[in-house]
Amino acid sequence: MSTDLELLQGTLDLLVLKTLTWGPMHGYAVAKWIRETTNDELNVEDGALYTALHRMEKRAWIAAEWGVSENNRRAKYYRLTAAGRRQLQGKTADFERYAQAVFRVLRTA
Amino acid sequence: MTRRPRLFGIDRTRSGLQRAVDDELRFHFDMTVRELMAGGMNPDDARREAERRFGDVNQVRDRLTHIDRQRVGQEKRAEWWSGFAQDLRYALRGMMLQPGFAAVIVLALALGIGANATMFGIVDRLLFRPPAFLIAPERTHQLYFRRMVDGKEFTGNSSQYQRFLDLTESATTTEVIGAFSTRRVAVGVGEDTRELTLGAMSASLWQMFNARPVSGRFFRADEDRDIGGANVVVLSHGYWQSKYAGSDSVIGKTMQIGPASYTIIGVAPRGFAATQLLTPSAFIPIAVSATEDFGEMWKRYRTTYNITWLEIFARARPGVSIEAMTADLTNAYRRSWEKQIAVQPRTAPTAIAQPRVALYPIFEERGPEPSADTKVAQWLFGVAVVVLLIACANVGNLLLGRALRRHREIAVRLALGVSRSRLARQLLTESLLLAVLGAVAGLFVAQWGGQLLRATLMPQVEWDSAIADPRVLIFASATALLAGLLAGLAPIFQSRRTDVAVALKAGAREGYSHRSLLRTSLLVMQAALSVILLVGAGLFVRSLQGVSAVDPGYDVDQLVWIEPRFRGTQLDSVRRKALYDGLLEHALQQPGVENATLALTVPFNATYSDDIYLPGADSASKLGDFIQQGASVGYFATTGTRIIRGRGFSDEDRAGAPLVVVVSESMARGLWPNQEAIGQCVKTSERTNPCRTVVGIAENTKIGNFGNDWDLMYYLPEAQLGTNYYSMFIRVSGSANNAVDAMRRALQPLMPGAGYVTSKSMESLVSPSMRSWRLGATMFATFGSLALLLAALGLYGVIAHSVAQRTHEMGVRVALGARTSDVAGLVIRESLRIVTVGVILGVIAALLAGRWIAPLLFEVSPRDPMVLAAVVVTLMGVSLLASWLPAVRASRVDPAESLRAD
Repeated sequence: MSTDLELLQGTLDLLVLKTLTWGPMHGYAVAKWIRETTNDELNVEDGALYTALHRMEKRAWIAAEWGVSENNRRAKYYRLTAAGRRQLQGKTADFERYAQAVFRVLRTA
Repeated sequence: MTRRPRLFGIDRTRSGLQRAVDDELRFHFDMTVRELMAGGMNPDDARREAERRFGDVNQVRDRLTHIDRQRVGQEKRAEWWSGFAQDLRYALRGMMLQPGFAAVIVLALALGIGANATMFGIVDRLLFRPPAFLIAPERTHQLYFRRMVDGKEFTGNSSQYQRFLDLTESATTTEVIGAFSTRRVAVGVGEDTRELTLGAMSASLWQMFNARPVSGRFFRADEDRDIGGANVVVLSHGYWQSKYAGSDSVIGKTMQIGPASYTIIGVAPRGFAATQLLTPSAFIPIAVSATEDFGEMWKRYRTTYNITWLEIFARARPGVSIEAMTADLTNAYRRSWEKQIAVQPRTAPTAIAQPRVALYPIFEERGPEPSADTKVAQWLFGVAVVVLLIACANVGNLLLGRALRRHREIAVRLALGVSRSRLARQLLTESLLLAVLGAVAGLFVAQWGGQLLRATLMPQVEWDSAIADPRVLIFASATALLAGLLAGLAPIFQSRRTDVAVALKAGAREGYSHRSLLRTSLLVMQAALSVILLVGAGLFVRSLQGVSAVDPGYDVDQLVWIEPRFRGTQLDSVRRKALYDGLLEHALQQPGVENATLALTVPFNATYSDDIYLPGADSASKLGDFIQQGASVGYFATTGTRIIRGRGFSDEDRAGAPLVVVVSESMARGLWPNQEAIGQCVKTSERTNPCRTVVGIAENTKIGNFGNDWDLMYYLPEAQLGTNYYSMFIRVSGSANNAVDAMRRALQPLMPGAGYVTSKSMESLVSPSMRSWRLGATMFATFGSLALLLAALGLYGVIAHSVAQRTHEMGVRVALGARTSDVAGLVIRESLRIVTVGVILGVIAALLAGRWIAPLLFEVSPRDPMVLAAVVVTLMGVSLLASWLPAVRASRVDPAESLRAD
């Protein structure tokens, strides 16, 4: 049985938004940050991550801009918008409520 | 939006988005592989690991591109709307700043669009819109019957009941065949009796319509029989409302129609008029109606083809072509023709008559014989379009003028990087906004002017109100859109030519080089179009004058026409004669009545003809139709028809006395050229009849048509003519229109049984035949003045603008010693030059168009020099007036001030 957690789509959005609070990043940096912060526990496919980025760009939660990377290459940088920041707050609260509810059930056993 | 890829920018084309996604993913892979290799992996393993971590690359790539395209679509729409909102705000602000300017434009467009919406409503109703509730209008046709008579083809839509039955029986391509006829019938009893138009229709005709009765039911085939049918009537919605206040309890009540009593069985829905433009008051079974209308005659002729009185309509089966249907109906018609020969041996053989059927649209006005009103309406629609063109040219010119004044602003904006297409869009938004406002105002114009016009054109039609009619609304919006585009084009065209550098260098005053060719051409066009319309107006006014000035040979204004209707009451000739005498005598006792007479022939209503013979000559018929008038002694004194020579009738001309006749001047000249007519012998009806001696010659009269030559007419004393059904003319001292009701009330009580009298003024009989000219004159004059006003406004605007621009130049001229009149003359000459070119073009166009309008005129040449001269003078005068103010302003330029202005 896999120890990887199946990641809900909304949760991935939440992680990406949180990551971007540290400042504008390109997709690779976001992926790396999530992997390193979770010790690769979550096993997020990079493709899913990019899909989330583009979808959130469409929803104007994040904005994209082309820039130059640390090793001098052209890269697409994402940054959080005001709408994205509001989403993050709302979703974080939702997630905490959800997780607590789940834990309450699990701890009764 | 630009298609150039920008460095670090985002190319929003489809391929650009694809490239961006590829770039992003490539960067990601390169970075992943580099990191893995830095961790000690060999290149191949690193690449495999990167791909494993990523998932299905191609699928993700497609998904990302798809998402991006959706995003770009959203962005573009949002940008468009925000741009539009910005343009709209800008346009609104512009309007607020110059409310007068905007008001003039909206007014001009309102008049143009309103005129078009009005005329469209009318032409649509006459020509394009199928009757309400009609099922499958494209498959429904009216039958016209063609046959050869004396080597000439005769076409008519009138047919016989038996023919309708024959066709219904033998046609194979049709789904429904229906018959229809309108009848003027007396409805009601006693004082309440009124003549109404009823629709007599075959029961089958209901199947052509998708109409449900509002109350009760429609009649069935077994009720629509001449023997064993039922006296049932279906009311029209309008009559039900006005007469019975829309009460359902009316079903089952009886109603006196003609000599018989009918049971009301249903009410037709609102707007239902069967095949007619004018809604009949009620509908009755056609076969039942025939027995009532034709009475004794019907018994004799019910299975023959003698009485021609109804129209036939047919709907094709789905999929049947119009050619196949025509062929089938022609076959049926031929078979029916053979049956006719069997019952009426004197019918022409099929081979000679060559009977055939032609199918025409169900609208009569689109058949082979449209009325003059329709032709004039079509012309007026064209005229309305011209007015709209003028309005557009004018609005374009005004907008252009403002665009020129804003020339520097536009140049600055171009210099600041606003794209020309964005600028064009803005100008277009502005003109469209004005057009929309114009359309809204135009609908009110249409509503108000439409009522007026429709009342003049077709008073009895139940029109929808213009505002409620969706087709008129759609038309008006389309017109507004087109007008907005047209009017917006000119300034856009101009903005394209703006050279930024030149405009900015030139400084505020020299905003733009002097006159724009475009503005001048728009003015020339307006002047030319105004000329065309005014020439049209002049021609119709002259026609109307001509028609009104025609002396018809009797005093139209003072005559009341009374027609006694017997409605089933049978009177022998003695009692009928006594009734006529009683009516005349009673009429003469009424206050204000000067004289009264019996009459057979009624101008513009019904004429009697009879063969006449001269001794020693063949039938005189080849000269034309001779109209017979039967007259009382007081005839000529009543009608005002003058006796030119000889005498009129006297009490001596009674039965048994020597037979006499009075002939019209035209008839005398035709029958006895270069001879004395008085004393000649004329025989009527049969060659063997005794001579009637000509005792007098009466002035010529117009009986059927103003356009025709004088009618050939002869008058017989009623006492020597024998029995007949007469009507009466009564001469009153004041206006006949005011005496109509009093006469009806006075004479009605004398009628026996269910009989009654109809009373009309002669004027009401005559005026419909003048209507097409009156309409043409009114409308062309209205539209022409409108066009002239618009053109004058346009001219004033352009000249004033040009003067304002040349203040500096004028100042220099005055400083150099030019006199006031020189400067004013300069301005006026400029405007005259423009107008002259327009007038010349307009006159040429009017001369060319004359050929088509000639048939609608009354004894006026379409190239009438008086009209042309008057129009040219008017236009020149108006142009002088329009340039007068600017000229005065130019001549008052203070050189010191204008030169200091810089």
